[in-house]
Amino acid sequence: MKRTVTLLMCFVIFGVSFPLFAGGQKEGKKAPVTVTFFTGKSETVDWMDKLIADFNKKYPGIKVTQEFQKDASSVIKVKFASGDIPDITTVVNQDYIDQGMYMDLSNESWWSRILPSIKDLCTDIKSGKQYKVATNVTTAGIFYNKEVFNKLGLKEALTWKDFVGNLETIKKANPGMVPMFLAGKDSWTLGHLIEFLAHGIIKQEYGIMGSRKAFIYNQQDKLKFAQAGGPMDIFAGRIMELKAKGLINSDSLTATYDDQKTALATGKTALISQGMWAFRDIMKINPDAEIGFSPFPAIADGTKPVVISAEDSAYAITSASKHKKEAVIFLNYLFQPDNQKSYSEFLKMPSAFTDVNADWGPLKDDVKKALSIAVNIPFTETPSGFSGDDAGRMVQQLIAGKYATSLDFAKAYADTWNKAWNAAK
Amino acid sequence: MKQKKLRNNLHKVMAVPAFILFFIFFIYPLFQSIGLSLTNWNGFSKATFIGIRNFITFFSDSRALNDIKVTVLFALGSAPLLNIFGLVYALLLDKEFKGKSLVRVIVYLPAVISPLIMGYLWYFILQPQRGVLFTVLSHAGWVISGNWLGKSGPALVVLILVNVWQFVGMTMIIYLAGLQTISPEMYEASDMEGAGYWTTLRYVTLPLLLPSIKINVITNIIGSLSVFEIIIALTDGGPGYATESLSIYILRMVHGSFTGYSTAVALILFFIILIPVFISLKVMKRMEYEA
Amino acid sequence: MNWIRIIQKTGKYITLVVISFLSLIPFYILITIGLSKNVGKLKIDFSFLPDFHFVNFILAWTKSGLGISLVNSFVITSGALVILVIFSSSAGYSIARFASPFNRTILNIFLLCMMIPGIINTVALYTLMIKIGGINTRWAMILVLSANSLPFSVFLYTNFIRSIPRDVEESAIIDGCTWFSAFWRVTFHFLKPVTAAVAILQGLGIWNNYAQAVFFLQRKDVRTIPLAISMFFQQYGANWSLMAGAAIIGLAPAVLIFLFFQKFFIKGIISGAVKG
Repeated sequence: MKRTVTLLMCFVIFGVSFPLFAGGQKEGKKAPVTVTFFTGKSETVDWMDKLIADFNKKYPGIKVTQEFQKDASSVIKVKFASGDIPDITTVVNQDYIDQGMYMDLSNESWWSRILPSIKDLCTDIKSGKQYKVATNVTTAGIFYNKEVFNKLGLKEALTWKDFVGNLETIKKANPGMVPMFLAGKDSWTLGHLIEFLAHGIIKQEYGIMGSRKAFIYNQQDKLKFAQAGGPMDIFAGRIMELKAKGLINSDSLTATYDDQKTALATGKTALISQGMWAFRDIMKINPDAEIGFSPFPAIADGTKPVVISAEDSAYAITSASKHKKEAVIFLNYLFQPDNQKSYSEFLKMPSAFTDVNADWGPLKDDVKKALSIAVNIPFTETPSGFSGDDAGRMVQQLIAGKYATSLDFAKAYADTWNKAWNAAK
Repeated sequence: MKQKKLRNNLHKVMAVPAFILFFIFFIYPLFQSIGLSLTNWNGFSKATFIGIRNFITFFSDSRALNDIKVTVLFALGSAPLLNIFGLVYALLLDKEFKGKSLVRVIVYLPAVISPLIMGYLWYFILQPQRGVLFTVLSHAGWVISGNWLGKSGPALVVLILVNVWQFVGMTMIIYLAGLQTISPEMYEASDMEGAGYWTTLRYVTLPLLLPSIKINVITNIIGSLSVFEIIIALTDGGPGYATESLSIYILRMVHGSFTGYSTAVALILFFIILIPVFISLKVMKRMEYEA
Repeated sequence: MNWIRIIQKTGKYITLVVISFLSLIPFYILITIGLSKNVGKLKIDFSFLPDFHFVNFILAWTKSGLGISLVNSFVITSGALVILVIFSSSAGYSIARFASPFNRTILNIFLLCMMIPGIINTVALYTLMIKIGGINTRWAMILVLSANSLPFSVFLYTNFIRSIPRDVEESAIIDGCTWFSAFWRVTFHFLKPVTAAVAILQGLGIWNNYAQAVFFLQRKDVRTIPLAISMFFQQYGANWSLMAGAAIIGLAPAVLIFLFFQKFFIKGIISGAVKG
């Protein structure tokens, strides 16, 4: 019997523990220091892999590895809790800033090269310090099919009435074409609608700094989320209107972000709401597509059209990182003007560095015009328990007809927001 | 001498290693869950004791209540269908005929695969406007919206059917196993008495299948009520939260900052599972007496 | 008289063909997409023959890093199964053969816990894993998953051993074995069918585990197949051929092992799962 047991034990030890410990701790000896980079930006994974390969070659003492996850903003929480904390991450959230999860980057050398407006957006409202650094300026607004607009003699809409009028004209003229295409399966795209359209009202009323404070400190007297005639109520009404009039795609709840880009690139839809990050893929699907860019129309009477002009590609170093020095070395390498030029041209998105002159794409003029005629607004800083994904799911419900009135939606939204905000404290 | 005594009594405590492992990685966390469920822990800062407030919150949380409804409806659809189809398949494939084992293998095959991958596979087929089914149907001239996954009702039906499709082989195998334990004499006796197919099925086969029925009913109830992967892959709980199950809700509450709350939800899920399991155990026990 | 039989028989075979077809069609579709030249769009030409564009598989393999995940899945599954089989068979033996209040309590606890799905414990388990440094390690995952599978396995082994006559061990005792050694020397060899059932039913569950893995295996180098596939799908959602290629690579090991051992598999379940 001993033989059997010994044999079994050998099997256990050999089969299990050997490969298990072998894979466990590789960073032991004099192997290069591993710097982990955790990203939620799917567009840049391939580009980043190439840059990392170059970097690893040039700096043999450091080995950077990249990890991508779509739900990065949720997953980072599990990582923080488990102690498997990346050294560098693209996920920055006010809760985690408050928890002291990030390293203070205020004294790094690169700030003098960065546009002051972007530096402001990277500044923590509460402490006045910078815990993240963004390399690009992104814009988000309406991407539209120029051909269709020219053929029908449509103008870029700046008011809601004109916007709906445009969509209706498109629908009448091209019954096979989807006037506006939503990508509901990827709920963040719907979450963005809230940040752009609904929160746009708040952001233009209180200005960039004032509205950031209102969101971060949850000043409901300014946010007015649950109020009749408040931003959420108006927003929900507008979405319901689009749906009732048949101006959005019938599969708006199951179509993906990729479907959305394809629809615009191949002329199946006249317009979409997206950010500059989508542009590269659209051009890749159909390089001949004639795409225009315009601001979001004002959704409430008496307000102005808005366009997102905000930081993009933000990086933070975690305070728990054991290799902060190496992480900074990598960021410095990433921020070199030629690398940023390449990044900017790859993403087709303007750089936030003043010394980077990138020819980032054919939309340059459209974007310039949009930025000059519309109020420039940033993204929303939401509590970590109520991400853009979660907000997007509420818009899914709205489109699915779960809320009888727009005010019901507004109240539900306010409720979820408040709960998440309280939980994060 | 002492050593020998120990060796001679070793057999009495052979369940101890299993129990210790189980205690550390299952029972201890289970008790800890109860503790955590009484706090407002958010995953990183300090937890405060808040009594049963999480449970009260749960029952006034419309999303949570909807998730209970979804989970229960899913189980109500899925568990019976799995058992019925599994039994029918088993009765069909129990007979001797050529290619019997091939068909069994084919039917069992989907159950081998991760429900997550299976969900993605079905998404290829079912995606409205672009999926295989839509493409085939529209090629065949059928005008169809194909919006199976975009509405809560149809989406739930699709989820149930996919789940049944995948795991029917599993239930079938268990029923086949049960059928093999029934000796041919039982059928012969029934035949002698002139009983028809249905009478034999009702009074001979089914009662003797009770052990298999028990395993299947219970595993299917548990499995259906804790459904997770297939929903993640096919609808991601959408549209909105219309097909979100309690398991997904738990995961999302952890990802949000509601860690303490999520354990409370987990415990509620436990009770939701316990009730039908105990009821069906009771019912089957009574059936055993009657048989 | 004869034609009734013929109709019955053909009817039966038609049913069987329909059943098989139902089970197989999604696989056919998956393979067709995986071998398709078209990347984004779907083209249906009713030729029913794929393009045989094998490049997709190579691309999927190199882009997804499925190699390391395959190793991880193998290590975790085999490790958990070894522990599971040793622990639950010996527990089943003791419980089935030597009734005592102690053993009865243990069995009842296992039976009760059989009703508790693993996800309920996840958060508390998570904090435990942090304390013992088990996050992102294969050994901890092995322990968690084998513990999760213990109740059902102990249940199967107990039932099975009860159905084996006691004489099996008694003759060994006469030869001077202890009850403990008699189990490993003799009884264990009679347990092949139920061991097969455990290995199939629980092994597949462990191999396909996602709900726990998604929490405990965060790092790229410890990810299992389901995790790697889901990550890959998140990133290459638009490229159906690539996704299908990865899915095929991901499900192939389970399917191949199943097909290779299918006789043993189905027999094992049939003779192991339902006894007594």
